[in-house]
Amino acid sequence: MATRWWRWRWRWRWRCGCYWRPAARSPRPGFPGSAGLPGPRAAADARAQMSYFNLVKSITSAFQNVYELSRFHHTTPGVCCRSKIQSGEQYTDPFKLGWRDLKDLYEDIKKELLISTTELKEMSEYYFDGKGKAFRPIIVVLMARACNIHHNNSRNVHASQRSIALIAEMIHTATLVHDDVIDDASSRRGKHTVNKIWGEKKAVLAGDLILSAASIALARIGNTTVISILTQVIEDLVRGEFLQLGSKEDESERFAHYLEKTFKKTASLIAHSCKAVSVLGCPDPAVHEIAYQYGRNVGMAFQLIDDVLDFTSCSEQMGKPTSTDLKLGLATGPVLFACRQFPEMNAMIMRRFSLPGDVDRARQYVFQSDGVQQTTYLAQQYCHEAIREISKLRPSPERDALIQLSEIVLTREK
Amino acid sequence: MSLRQLLIPLPCYLGPLGLLRRPLWFPSTVGSWRAQSSRSQSHWNQVVSEAEKIVGYPTSFMSLRCLLSDELSNIAMQVRKLVGTQHPLLTTARGFVHESRHNLQLRGLVVLLISKAAGPSGLDTACQNDDMVSGIYSCQRSLAEITELIHTALLVHRGIVNLNELQSSDGPLKDMQFGNKIAILSGDFLLANACNGLALLQNSKVVELLASALMDLVQGVYHENSTSAKEKAITDDIGISTWKEQTFLSHCALLAKSCQAAMELARHGAEVQGTAFRYGKHVAMSHKIHSDLQPFIKEKASESATFNLNSAPVVLHQEFLGRDLWMKQIREAQEKGRLDYAKLRETIKAGKGVTSAIDLCRYHGNKALAALESFPPSEARSALENIVFAVTRFS
Repeated sequence: MATRWWRWRWRWRWRCGCYWRPAARSPRPGFPGSAGLPGPRAAADARAQMSYFNLVKSITSAFQNVYELSRFHHTTPGVCCRSKIQSGEQYTDPFKLGWRDLKDLYEDIKKELLISTTELKEMSEYYFDGKGKAFRPIIVVLMARACNIHHNNSRNVHASQRSIALIAEMIHTATLVHDDVIDDASSRRGKHTVNKIWGEKKAVLAGDLILSAASIALARIGNTTVISILTQVIEDLVRGEFLQLGSKEDESERFAHYLEKTFKKTASLIAHSCKAVSVLGCPDPAVHEIAYQYGRNVGMAFQLIDDVLDFTSCSEQMGKPTSTDLKLGLATGPVLFACRQFPEMNAMIMRRFSLPGDVDRARQYVFQSDGVQQTTYLAQQYCHEAIREISKLRPSPERDALIQLSEIVLTREK
Repeated sequence: MSLRQLLIPLPCYLGPLGLLRRPLWFPSTVGSWRAQSSRSQSHWNQVVSEAEKIVGYPTSFMSLRCLLSDELSNIAMQVRKLVGTQHPLLTTARGFVHESRHNLQLRGLVVLLISKAAGPSGLDTACQNDDMVSGIYSCQRSLAEITELIHTALLVHRGIVNLNELQSSDGPLKDMQFGNKIAILSGDFLLANACNGLALLQNSKVVELLASALMDLVQGVYHENSTSAKEKAITDDIGISTWKEQTFLSHCALLAKSCQAAMELARHGAEVQGTAFRYGKHVAMSHKIHSDLQPFIKEKASESATFNLNSAPVVLHQEFLGRDLWMKQIREAQEKGRLDYAKLRETIKAGKGVTSAIDLCRYHGNKALAALESFPPSEARSALENIVFAVTRFS
């Protein structure tokens, strides 16, 4: 156990290209900061309140047997979910499966952007170039099919459900455009940001425009329940952005604050669009809740891994500069965990890494600590929960693809 | 004593919410709805205060929810940090505080008046709790508020600065970045509230109307921004029909579609909806032309005052004159690279642009009045007519 642990850590360090410190610290028990996940479900909250020690124990025990066999052996050691799932079906690439319903996704989005002005149209379409991961639309159509099959074995996707996939991608893109102006970012997905090419004034309008087009598409579905569900996303996104403005003095509060922000800025969109397609496909409220919880948990895991990659990945892989969060003064999961081991980071967090050298020092602390691993564990916990939820649905290739997708979330490198 | 009578004597027509609203400077509206010369100003105020009495109180509880939220106090706190910088958001915010006396939520007011003028349709309303105060459904009051929220959000987003065009006189880059950040967030916050309010109306037709109004408005603002960029303004060559298309997007679409949506909420048919749309569109158009005309008809126009080279009288002037002659006039009015607006104004006043802009303003005013004829006579209808009279008066 101990040697495996050691090797594990070593691999991480090696992968991250960061400092190798032989004095590996043993994880500290009882991390109090992980209290209180956002979201309506108390079950998930209790899970998160599990002490850090138990958390590590449960993860390592789950992963003990599959570690050597894992097909992701060489990329990430943390994949442990597969052992629990016995679907019996041949795995196909979930992206391929989802993409069958998303042919012409970007063409169809462009059709929603009915704009006469050439430049404005060009700006609004800039990110719909087919180079994004389309992670959200894929989850949405897979969830739609999984719910439809669960409900009445229907092998179809309703047009309205497919619209939700488009709308989710549009809302996501609108926030990207605004976020890039707010953060003064200069590159995304390997190209210049809208604000760098056309200026901030026009970029903000392009974001508003995409949002209005998404709202029109949403209204045309003609279902007021679905409108309310996705409106919640827009509110959450703005509130998440506000949460990001402030930082909390108290450590445990700070972690809850971070998780709440993560939910609002990332998980809410995935959770609510999953819920929306389930509402359109199946009348059973229990299924809506499953869809919502799957989306919420996958969304949380997705963002936690994103925060990890901001430390461990290089810019070419991500298509955007790394360590951006630190440079923006944001303390994400890895930093907050590292701060448990290096209390001297507190001051840095409070001044939002504003002094010269803060960013580099914070990076070093993170790599000397278990911050990256612990954030990954937390993401794994969310994935377990997502898989537990989605497994309640009747088996289908799409359901299994969703299970597999939650694993991919953990192992992705960009 | 009725609720209405109780509310009338309040100093601010916003009712109880108005008291909260002003110190926080926020979800108010732009001063462009102000009439500008002092005589027409007093007439205008009279028209509006009469109209306000008719609708009882114009706000819904949505603004209260907005005001009490953490986000807004956060914004107010952040804006304080901007004091002393050159960011335009500050000017916008300052306008909300200092000019709130003349700040009329006219878009909201018109939506309420037309709701009252049209009355109930006899069918069940789309509102869930269809309590009526002063002859207006509560959902129509929410709609009026949403209209103002969307307008204000775009007003805030309009004031973003391009960081690479900053001059040294604009102050430190950091301040401007921060100002942009706050402007985007506060605009987004208002939009999110508008979306939320729309969803609560439980009517997808209304959501679609207002979402498309937002799309129009964004495109309109985009045109306005690109034509008001300093250098480009002079070389911009648009005819009056293009001008009208763009003005519809930037100034009329929101009001027109909100008026239509107010009818939809009371379950009025397509015909009544079309009438309301036309009133909203034409009254907004004639108001825009009216305010464009102010620099040319005010008796005591200050010599140094500038005016928009893409305003209705100027565009019409250019159309009469032909592009080449107009460019020549601009060159003649230029001194050491700077445009002498006083001189240019006299040149324009000597041409036919001003009188034909007045004609255009009256044309749209008459269209608005014609739309109102299908409503039964009422004090609300008279108030809507008086608004038209006020914006088509040039003496």
